[in-house]
Amino acid sequence: MTNPVPHIATARSVASAPAQAAGDSAVEIRNVSKWFGDVTALDNVSFEIRRGEFFSLLGPSGCGKTTLLRMIGGFETPNEGQILIDGVDTLGAPPYARSTNMIFQHLALFPHMNVLDNVAFGLKMKRLDDEVIKQKVHQALELVRLDGYGERKIDQLSGGQKQRVAMARALINDPSVLLLDEPLGALDLQLRLQMQDELRRLHKSLGNTFIFVTHDQGEAMAMSDRIAVMDQGHILQIGTPEDIYEAPRTRFVADFVGHTNVFDGHVSRIDDNGECLVACSGLTFRCIAPAGLTLEQPVSVALRFEDVTLGGDPGSADGTGCSATVTEKMYLGGMFRLETRTDEGVALTSDVTNSDAARLFAEGDTVNLTWQPANVSVLLE
Amino acid sequence: MTAVTPDRIPAKTKHRRSIKDGGVKPIGRPIWLLSPGVLWLLLFGLAPLAFMLMMSFWTSTIFGTKPDFSFDNYARVLVTELYRDQLFKTLRIAFMTTAMTVVISYPVAYLLSRLHGMQKALFVLMMFLPFWTSYVIRAFVWLPILGRNGAINNALQALGIIDTPIDWLLFNEGAVFLGLVYVYTLFMTLPIYLSLEKIDPALVEAATDLGARPASVFRRVILPLSWPGVLSGCIMVFLLSISAFVTPQLLGGPSGIMYGNVIASQFLANNNWAFGSALSITLVAIVVLLLLVSSRWIGLQHVFTGGRNS
Repeated sequence: MTNPVPHIATARSVASAPAQAAGDSAVEIRNVSKWFGDVTALDNVSFEIRRGEFFSLLGPSGCGKTTLLRMIGGFETPNEGQILIDGVDTLGAPPYARSTNMIFQHLALFPHMNVLDNVAFGLKMKRLDDEVIKQKVHQALELVRLDGYGERKIDQLSGGQKQRVAMARALINDPSVLLLDEPLGALDLQLRLQMQDELRRLHKSLGNTFIFVTHDQGEAMAMSDRIAVMDQGHILQIGTPEDIYEAPRTRFVADFVGHTNVFDGHVSRIDDNGECLVACSGLTFRCIAPAGLTLEQPVSVALRFEDVTLGGDPGSADGTGCSATVTEKMYLGGMFRLETRTDEGVALTSDVTNSDAARLFAEGDTVNLTWQPANVSVLLE
Repeated sequence: MTAVTPDRIPAKTKHRRSIKDGGVKPIGRPIWLLSPGVLWLLLFGLAPLAFMLMMSFWTSTIFGTKPDFSFDNYARVLVTELYRDQLFKTLRIAFMTTAMTVVISYPVAYLLSRLHGMQKALFVLMMFLPFWTSYVIRAFVWLPILGRNGAINNALQALGIIDTPIDWLLFNEGAVFLGLVYVYTLFMTLPIYLSLEKIDPALVEAATDLGARPASVFRRVILPLSWPGVLSGCIMVFLLSISAFVTPQLLGGPSGIMYGNVIASQFLANNNWAFGSALSITLVAIVVLLLLVSSRWIGLQHVFTGGRNS
């Protein structure tokens, strides 16, 4: 009881003195698979999370993102593969011996302790000196702007204050990796945006690695350095928010991130200038050809709602526009969403700015829609 | 739609106001709705107690009980060594029974809270099965187990460990203790189990995540959060065993009788209702006192709800 477990010491020493051998990856996932009975939660996943980065695992519920997070935290064990934290294989290490800390989905604050005792819990477990604990708790509460709330009971706190206590309780241990399991899910929009700012601020000022699980693409976009989009136990794409948004590689990513028109078709022409034409049923799109594209290859194209412009020359032959009939017009505040249908029966949705031009059109009118080839993504899968 | 006749306007505004108040027409504070419960309490709870309190000041003779205002009964309760000893013995047995049921119930409840599905159902069934029979039978069953010709003596004799039956197994304080523990354990196991079941598994994970090894998790999270269940069980078992009557009657013999038997004999055998009432009131007073003292440490409001709400 009185001596710390040896592997705590190992994990801590690695955390406090970043080993050169570990390179710049905080977490390394190597060929990890996990299944529960017949259900495969993760299927041979490999990637790295860099030290100090804000990394999001984004996907619909059941995609395996939470399972992956829980495996990094030590709450689940992979059936196959390895997870390295700070370059050290974590196999068999229980959560209390890892240099990770988790902010749980429903926060899991201890209801029988006040704010001080909640925040101090990790340090007490490390058997630090009482004075040191007191000082560090004070700093942590200051960091999350809760100084003066120490004596409060948990059920006397608002939702946002509970969030802050959970952050302080995890961050006071200076984890080498902070795991966040959709902790903002239960908050209303206003508070959610506030807490997003707060998390960004903490990440910037502390520099720990944050791994954030969410199903909210807006949240992932706003906060992350990099995002991994997951579906059905697979990582579909890893990249910066810009990469993911502007160059989705698969149909799922294009669909899941942002509002997108997706059409199936085949490559009908490849030009010397690096552009190509993709013919979909009834509509042709001019796009930037990705490397290795071949003629007649079946592909999909994605065109974001906001990349469709109202007006201009439809010139349907060159694949940068069409004319269509407005079937529904929705007012979204800053913009209108026009649902349109071409003469060939292709449905195309566009978000157009709240301009006078948009105001003029009503349902049933025919409009010209145009787009830039650079905004059309070619999806190979 | 636009033409609203003047006489309909008040109706509309009235309707609006009631919606503002919560959508239901306010009916004031319907305290009278409490009347069935209050009536029940008065009739079957407070009235007998008040009557007993009154009668405890009366005097009983062989010619009957007659109204009076005398403290003689209480003097006898407190001064007579026999009754004082009985009281202390009963308190001791009740405390020991309570302590023993905690020791037995906590691990059982903990195990139960860890089981799932079919295993849990089976376990619960096994726990409850004996309690489908009467309380008297559950106490009585110890007679053929502990008696001179009972199961234990027979087994020990058959194994050649003893030659003559042991007769100190039954009809003493130990047998009463055993019987009470057996009969009341479930009243301890259930509240503890319920409070353990209420603990969010994420709290255990959170403690582990923050560096607590299993022993610390138990001491700092599981035990404190299940404590209201323990206290609730303690109060129930203590109340039940301090007023025990059937178990000591069946298993106690002359040396194992408890306060409940003393009280009963005043009413049933000695026909001294006034003195019996004084004995009863004394016991009630002691129980109330103990509850009040214990409420300094625990919220009594938590005890009967099986634990904290958050």
